[in-house]
Amino acid sequence: MEEKVLTQHFGLENFYNIDVYLKKGGYQAVRKALIDMNPEKILEEVKAANLRGRGGAGFPAGVKWGFVPEVDKPKYLCVNADEGEPGTFKDRYIMSHNPHMLLEGIIITSFCVGIHTAFIYIRGEYEAIAVRLEQAISEAYKNGFLGKNILEKGFDLDVFVHRGAGAYICGEETGLLESLEGKRGHPRLKPPFPASVGLFQCPTVINNVETISNIPFIILKGAKWFCEKGLPKDGGTRIFGVSGMVKKPGIYELPLGTNLKDIIYKYAGGMAKDKKLKAVIPGGMSAPILTADEIDIKMDFDSLVNAGSMLGSAAIVIIDMDTSILDVLKIVTKFYSHESCGQCTPCRVGSSWINKIVRRIVEGKGKKEDIDNIVRLASNIQGNTLCPLGDAAAMPILSITKKFRKEIESHVTN
Amino acid sequence: MSPEFSDNTKKQLEEIVSRYSRKEAALLPVLHLTQKEFGCISEVEEKLVAELLEIKLIHVREVVTFYTMLNQKPVGKYHIQVCSNLSCMLLGAESLIDYLAEKIGIKPGETSQDKKFTLSTVECLGACEMAPSMMVNFDYYGNLDKKKIDEILKSLK
Amino acid sequence: MIKIFLDEKPLEVNEGTTVLKAAEEAGIDIPHLCYHPAFLPEGSCRMCLVEIEGLPELELACSTQVREGMKISTKSEKVIEARKGVLEFLLAEHPLDCPICDKAGECELQNYYEEYGLFDSQFKETKEKRQKKVEIGKNLILDLERCILCTRCVRFLREVTKTQDLGVFNRGLHSEINTYDGVPVDNNYSGNLAEICPVGAITDSDFRFKTRSWFLKQGESICPLCSRGCNTIIESHKGFTHFQVPKRVYRIKSRENNDINGYWICDFGRYGYSYLDDKRLDRIIVNNGKEALTWEKAIAFLAEKIKRLHYVKKTSRLVVVLNTWLSNEELFLLKKIFKNDLSVEKIYFIDPADGEDDDFLLTSERSPNRRGAQEIGFDLKPLDREALMEKADLLLIFGQFISDRFNLTEIKAALENIETKIYFATHSDELNSLVDIVLPTTLIPEKEGSLTNVDGIVQKFLPVLEGPGECRPEWKVLVDLGKELGINFNYYKQFNSPEVVLKEMSKEIPFFEKKNE
Repeated sequence: MEEKVLTQHFGLENFYNIDVYLKKGGYQAVRKALIDMNPEKILEEVKAANLRGRGGAGFPAGVKWGFVPEVDKPKYLCVNADEGEPGTFKDRYIMSHNPHMLLEGIIITSFCVGIHTAFIYIRGEYEAIAVRLEQAISEAYKNGFLGKNILEKGFDLDVFVHRGAGAYICGEETGLLESLEGKRGHPRLKPPFPASVGLFQCPTVINNVETISNIPFIILKGAKWFCEKGLPKDGGTRIFGVSGMVKKPGIYELPLGTNLKDIIYKYAGGMAKDKKLKAVIPGGMSAPILTADEIDIKMDFDSLVNAGSMLGSAAIVIIDMDTSILDVLKIVTKFYSHESCGQCTPCRVGSSWINKIVRRIVEGKGKKEDIDNIVRLASNIQGNTLCPLGDAAAMPILSITKKFRKEIESHVTN
Repeated sequence: MSPEFSDNTKKQLEEIVSRYSRKEAALLPVLHLTQKEFGCISEVEEKLVAELLEIKLIHVREVVTFYTMLNQKPVGKYHIQVCSNLSCMLLGAESLIDYLAEKIGIKPGETSQDKKFTLSTVECLGACEMAPSMMVNFDYYGNLDKKKIDEILKSLK
Repeated sequence: MIKIFLDEKPLEVNEGTTVLKAAEEAGIDIPHLCYHPAFLPEGSCRMCLVEIEGLPELELACSTQVREGMKISTKSEKVIEARKGVLEFLLAEHPLDCPICDKAGECELQNYYEEYGLFDSQFKETKEKRQKKVEIGKNLILDLERCILCTRCVRFLREVTKTQDLGVFNRGLHSEINTYDGVPVDNNYSGNLAEICPVGAITDSDFRFKTRSWFLKQGESICPLCSRGCNTIIESHKGFTHFQVPKRVYRIKSRENNDINGYWICDFGRYGYSYLDDKRLDRIIVNNGKEALTWEKAIAFLAEKIKRLHYVKKTSRLVVVLNTWLSNEELFLLKKIFKNDLSVEKIYFIDPADGEDDDFLLTSERSPNRRGAQEIGFDLKPLDREALMEKADLLLIFGQFISDRFNLTEIKAALENIETKIYFATHSDELNSLVDIVLPTTLIPEKEGSLTNVDGIVQKFLPVLEGPGECRPEWKVLVDLGKELGINFNYYKQFNSPEVVLKEMSKEIPFFEKKNE
């Protein structure tokens, strides 16, 4: 088994307690960053580590931080703990097992970019996790890692937990900002990007929980080590979340580039209940589906893009032969029509229209032209919406109807 | 008889509001606290919140109706929210939803006569590795089957 | 300046211009629904998507700023397909209300469908059912099935009136724009909502089911109900050949003017147009059993009366009551004739009573040309009861406002003290029977001239309606009177149009010299 990075102490009892955490070498990264390094050096290291975002979009973290301008306004860090992408649960594990690792990442990131207020936007359903985070934050304050003049370096930082209230769209970075500002989670037009105009119109860095959690290790062990843990252009490990019809669902921290076949059969134990594999969703519901023939593939950003899918949130859902693909499609379209914020025309109308058609097909009243319409409508949504939720809805719908056309056609009349 | 926040809640609200450079940014945490205290956010509670944060009533309602976890009407003592998304449905959530509906005697979206249970279907709870999962108020339950559900229902007094 | 290519045509535009504005400058219309120049780009309707060379996806014209060398296509296949797609989505959940919808004929959705759509509906599902007649304000009806969620109304009430009377509730396809628990939109600018709504979701109950937009002709005018001088459009019925239309003027709309009213007009001006048609005076009325008069005879009669007083130096027995609804040209001619030529001192003014200003467009002065009258040199002595009580030989009254401001039974006695009373009126009222001659004059939309608003902006206007019956514009009457008086015939002879009068004013009065462009 490879050496684990993020999850190495997940089994340890009370690891979320700062005393246990400190005993295991906790907050060394913060000390090194604030005492031995400076913001420029930290940024250099993070850039060289090729740390790509672990929320879904995969944007290089160092590059994002570099976009933050020097202006006479406060800067903010928002940690995206909304984890709404169906199939994803890795951040829940990080925050409940190792909240201090996340806090270290937050402190170092804030020190690097010049941020003095950070918010952890956590989905409303994770109430118990929010409590644990607040506990950890309180401990960090007590131990001098948060608050004023941290480690006597003249660096102030406040961290707050902000709970969402049940809206997938608040996982989209500008939807998150609107929600944090006390409004409906309606995504904003980009440009301007949050790095220059973000929370309260101030420069803001928004990163996923797992992304930030990697920062302490990059500081402690260096960018070169980080790249060796993964791929040269794609450093580090990923926490893959495996669920569905599989023997051992759960989180698996593995190097970027691990083969999907291995993840399913070697690590997660293979198919459950002796069922046969039908399809795999490799990166959360928004990632285009892969058939059983397509699982011999490296799990990294570029390989999946080349295969017409995406790594996304590294949430792997295993679908078995006994499951009707129409049911999968039904769940997909129901989800996106529920979660559409309603702002822009194609997503607001299109996601529900497609949902209505699929429902009708499920009820046995579908025709062949309905499938053509679904494809046409999804194509009209893709690329034409205000935020990526439109694409997130269109891509799985298009890939399912394309790759499983025959099966869906068996449910309709001519 | 106009309701007011309890003294304890008032203290918590003060602390929350102080975290943000703009009062209205505290709306979501304030709404969570309000719902915890009063059970829901009806017209009466909207007024309390609007006054506290110095925002318009209409803004409060715009926000309350946007987020699924904020209720305008009270729910039962135990709000059973069953995940109806992919991993859970692959592992039989649909039949469990039917089972729950049958056992409690209500349909999804309804509240039992004695106001003890409200049954809802929700989207992905982020507990896919223990599918099928559900949330009762804020407590997560996973790896559900009919037997487990029976046990859980019995334990909910 | 930046050089761009719009549909292969080279164009020079200012830095910071959006693609939409640049296209507008080049005469190319890019369809848009949620965009309105009064607000920041919203980007939610997705109608204005265009293709920009080098960019993988279509971009919004309303919010994308031009860059040097940008090549934009507003008509490529990809763009046309996207437009059709957006239209299809909009129409999928839109009711087929055109036959009963007031917006028909001026509906953006209809227009765009006609130009960019023309497809058969593929929507075979059940449309969402919503409320169709929500009364959200004193003149506003909201139809939630027609709403396309462009949020122009919400943004108007948030950014312009700052009253936030409407909000967006729920999520996704269940999203709904509405009031808070029926609390109505209650401000002096609510009428603008029906105008800015691109479809028939918010309609004006004043206009509801009255007529069809294509029967109306539009005329540019200026609102005279206060001294702001907001630019308006008067919509009047073209008329039918075999059927008498019950109204002439059906609607007032706003007209953009960046220096005065921006994009808006207030409800006071928008809905206060009944005076244009109701109780209009269209004939010369002669009381006291004298013979019927033509205009020529009436002017000759008046001139004779005036001359008699003038030659015995008794113009102190002449009282003139004016108002500041009169145009710059008319007030100038009045000054020339009565103050300069005749040395009349008893010149009084009476206007509608002042009201409350609303901190935005509506001024407390409820007449359009008080500033003009001041600049022309009148001291705006207000008419009071004492002035009327004085004995006089000749009283000339211009305008309706004595009837509005005075109790006529009270001044009846006073009027009987005056030998000859001549009334230049636009409307029939009780004063008609208390004077000798009533002469019908035109209202502002029925004549040519100019007005000076509260900030000193001089605005010219042209006639867009026909004055009823025997009506004549005051400026023409005054020019004829001036000539008839014979004191300065050659001076008045030159004034064959208000334009010439304004030119003369710019020569004599420095204020108007700078304004006459």
